[in-house]
Amino acid sequence: MADLRISALHKYYGNVHAVRGIDLEIPAGEFTVLVGPSGCGKSTLLRTIAGLEDANEGTIEIGGQVVNHLPPRERDIAMVFQNYALYPYMKVFDNIAFGLRSRHTPKNEIEPRVRRAAQMLAIDHLLDRYPRELSGGQLQRVAIGRAVVRSARLYLFDEPLSNLDAQLRDEMRGEIKRLHQELGKTMIYVTHDQVEAMTMADRIVLLRDGIIEQAGAPLELFERPATRYVAGFLGSPAMNFIDANLVTAGDTLALRLNDGAGLALPQRRTANLRTRVDRPVVLGVRPEHIGPATQGERPGLARYTAIIELLQPTGSRTYATFDLGGTRAVAELQAHDVSTINQQIELSIDMNRVVLIDPATNRVLS
Amino acid sequence: MTPLAGRHRVRLCLRLVAAVALTLIFMFPIYWLYMISFKTASEIYAFPPKWYPSSFNFDTYRVLFRDGDAATVGNSLIVAFCSTALAMFLGFICAYSLARFSTGGKHLANWIISQRMIPPIAVVFPIFLLYVWFGLVDTYVGVILLYTAFNLPYVIWMMRSYILDVPRALEESALVDGYTRWQVLWKVLLPMCRAGLAATTIFTFVFAWNDFIFALVLTRTEVATYTVQITHYFGGQSNFWAKISAMSVLGTLPIFVVTAFMQRYFVRGISLGAVKG
Amino acid sequence: MRSGQRGTFRERNFKYLLVGPAIFVLLLIGVFPLVYLLMVSFQGITMTETSTDFIGFANYRQLFSDARLWQALLHTVIITAIALPIELVLGLAMAQLFLDRLPGRAIFIALLVLPVVVSPIVSGATWALLFNHRFGPINQIIGWFMGRETILLWTINPNLVYPAIITAEIWQWTPFMFLLLLAALGSVDRSQIEAAAIDGAGWWRTFFRIVLPAIAPVMTVAVLIRGLDLFRLFDIVWALTQGGPGTLTETISVFTYIKGFRQFETSYTAAVALLVIVLLSTLVMYLLRRVELAR
Repeated sequence: MADLRISALHKYYGNVHAVRGIDLEIPAGEFTVLVGPSGCGKSTLLRTIAGLEDANEGTIEIGGQVVNHLPPRERDIAMVFQNYALYPYMKVFDNIAFGLRSRHTPKNEIEPRVRRAAQMLAIDHLLDRYPRELSGGQLQRVAIGRAVVRSARLYLFDEPLSNLDAQLRDEMRGEIKRLHQELGKTMIYVTHDQVEAMTMADRIVLLRDGIIEQAGAPLELFERPATRYVAGFLGSPAMNFIDANLVTAGDTLALRLNDGAGLALPQRRTANLRTRVDRPVVLGVRPEHIGPATQGERPGLARYTAIIELLQPTGSRTYATFDLGGTRAVAELQAHDVSTINQQIELSIDMNRVVLIDPATNRVLS
Repeated sequence: MTPLAGRHRVRLCLRLVAAVALTLIFMFPIYWLYMISFKTASEIYAFPPKWYPSSFNFDTYRVLFRDGDAATVGNSLIVAFCSTALAMFLGFICAYSLARFSTGGKHLANWIISQRMIPPIAVVFPIFLLYVWFGLVDTYVGVILLYTAFNLPYVIWMMRSYILDVPRALEESALVDGYTRWQVLWKVLLPMCRAGLAATTIFTFVFAWNDFIFALVLTRTEVATYTVQITHYFGGQSNFWAKISAMSVLGTLPIFVVTAFMQRYFVRGISLGAVKG
Repeated sequence: MRSGQRGTFRERNFKYLLVGPAIFVLLLIGVFPLVYLLMVSFQGITMTETSTDFIGFANYRQLFSDARLWQALLHTVIITAIALPIELVLGLAMAQLFLDRLPGRAIFIALLVLPVVVSPIVSGATWALLFNHRFGPINQIIGWFMGRETILLWTINPNLVYPAIITAEIWQWTPFMFLLLLAALGSVDRSQIEAAAIDGAGWWRTFFRIVLPAIAPVMTVAVLIRGLDLFRLFDIVWALTQGGPGTLTETISVFTYIKGFRQFETSYTAAVALLVIVLLSTLVMYLLRRVELAR
């Protein structure tokens, strides 16, 4: 396995500046997820690492070796594609063995290696079949098997689960993560699905418009996002963003919403905010941090009276939509907390966990 | 039977009748042509015309083979085969470059397809003059070269469309696995394009086989193809109808056989890929 | 360095290498003839005159006043204008007929394909046989309907030569239209037709408002291909009438051939050939642009 270092990478497609100065260091053996919306440059970045595209500026080093000028087959990498890229006229065995054969691996070595890879992915009973006889999930396992059998130093995954249905995706996420634990190789995984990113990554790199918005461990991005974009991207349902004004309230600060309601901040959070009093600020609060008000005051919880407009039960939880200071917001409640709409309800918002965003720069205020 | 099913039955019958009638009408000329080749001279010139020979008479065929006229079919075969193979090879690799690398952009692609639009007579005339100068008239090389050149735009256009249908990921996967671009072309792409290759090959072959005007201008005695040979029998002299007919049979039968087997590739071939039959 | 191409730089040489041989061969028919024709058309080479001195635009001036040339163009246009619509409508009707399931459908289609793969010269020869005034079955059949012996000189009578040529042409190429349109009709989205049925549209309305627009792209391609082929018509005319009687059925290709290879007016023929190329190219470009706009 090898580490990966990218310095000042730029990539243009005609006039489109797809990758705009990326610096990234990935230690060996880590599972890194490149995540972001379509067009953010994540696939371009991956393909440039693979050598399927040439970078216009910057360097790519794998294991300390600069590989910019090397074709893909000399970079010792393996890749899993979104639509499997399996050869329909070859059996599964031959599909997996394809890469070994191209490197003239001796015949007696090929068979045991293929079988071992197939066993690792629980497809050893399918080796004699043709791709058209397999289901989506099985096809993806074969595609992964083809990468795994090669023993490369770097593994690249280009949105491999996008074509699978939800249930299969859940299953395969676990499989890939287990594979990483077993093999311990450096893996770079591209997806647009933030759930995949959160559950699988040792480190998340969130991309937007060709630059890195933030990189770090999943929980770090989740609990301490650097920008409004990161805060709104991770977490499902998404974070609620409410316009407010920062005002003084006794010996602490509070947020005055557009409907006049006030939400007091816990004192320990006000240290760096004194300079921003009487200026607009954006409140970011996750649905799971809005709950039913309980008896008695607890520190850091602000009360808010709301009228429920819409209910979306999922079984154990119910997502309730309501108006919060002039903006539609979602709260995650227990199923039995509320049952009908147009009902007034007392909510409490955990102000320990909210984020405050500067509307001018969209950066999160610490 | 419900009234609705009855109406459907009637419609089906009518359609069947129409289908049979149409097929008979379209097949009649071919039948007549083939039938003449088996008639004796007296039967051909019977008046009113007889619609079937009293027996299968192979005299005309024997004459054709004896006089060496049938050898022109062999010339057609050589010329069509060689030019098709060459056009398919050059066209395939060129199409790959156009499809995957957009070589030359829109301009090159448009120029290539526009070459198919050139009227043969406008091309064959200067080519003839050039060939005279180089001594290429009535040579296999000369004819094959021109057929190849004339078929290339079609091959390139068709194969480009087929190659575009193959997902890039297959080639990229092979590249990552260790193949060179050249190997990828033959080991990965070629098998994926088999249907398209078959359709294009048939059409290219049929075009070269059936061509008349190029052969008329560029061949004399050595390389005369069967189409040119047929026109040697024009001139109103009666017994030549038999030869025309027999030669036509020799020239069309191989194609009929090929078409019968390759039928399903046909639609894609003739529509320039506009319709994915 | 901004270049922003797809793929990698080392592939550049490879991709040029791939197109190289093909382009080299294509230049043979693509560029060389044009250049050569241009050169020769400004010279004065005829059957007797072999000097290669330049004589300016004389050939082109002659071209514009050559009645036979323009009549040849007219003949070509007439044949195209009559045969093409008939092929289209007939092919469409046949396609509609064979669209739904029919017993033996595959066999019918296999047989109907045959006229297309016959060499056009053979097709012309066949119809010459059929149209033969004494020994051809067509006069015989007409005689049955007329009740008396009919001797029609299809390949000589000025009133009959065009129908003869057009019939041979339609026989050979309607199956081409038929196959194309059959595939196109087969790929029309069923759900649109079903929606129209639910909305209460009758067969004709559905056909004109939904089916025809859906197959319009394919029809356009078909008309373009066949239109071009008709413009270059040579083989069938040559087999049936050799452009006769006189010059009555001379198409532009026949005219060019005779001028170049029978009368050996080399330079003049070069000018004519260039004219044909220019005409065809402008027509094609104009049509292609119309098609692009229509999309």
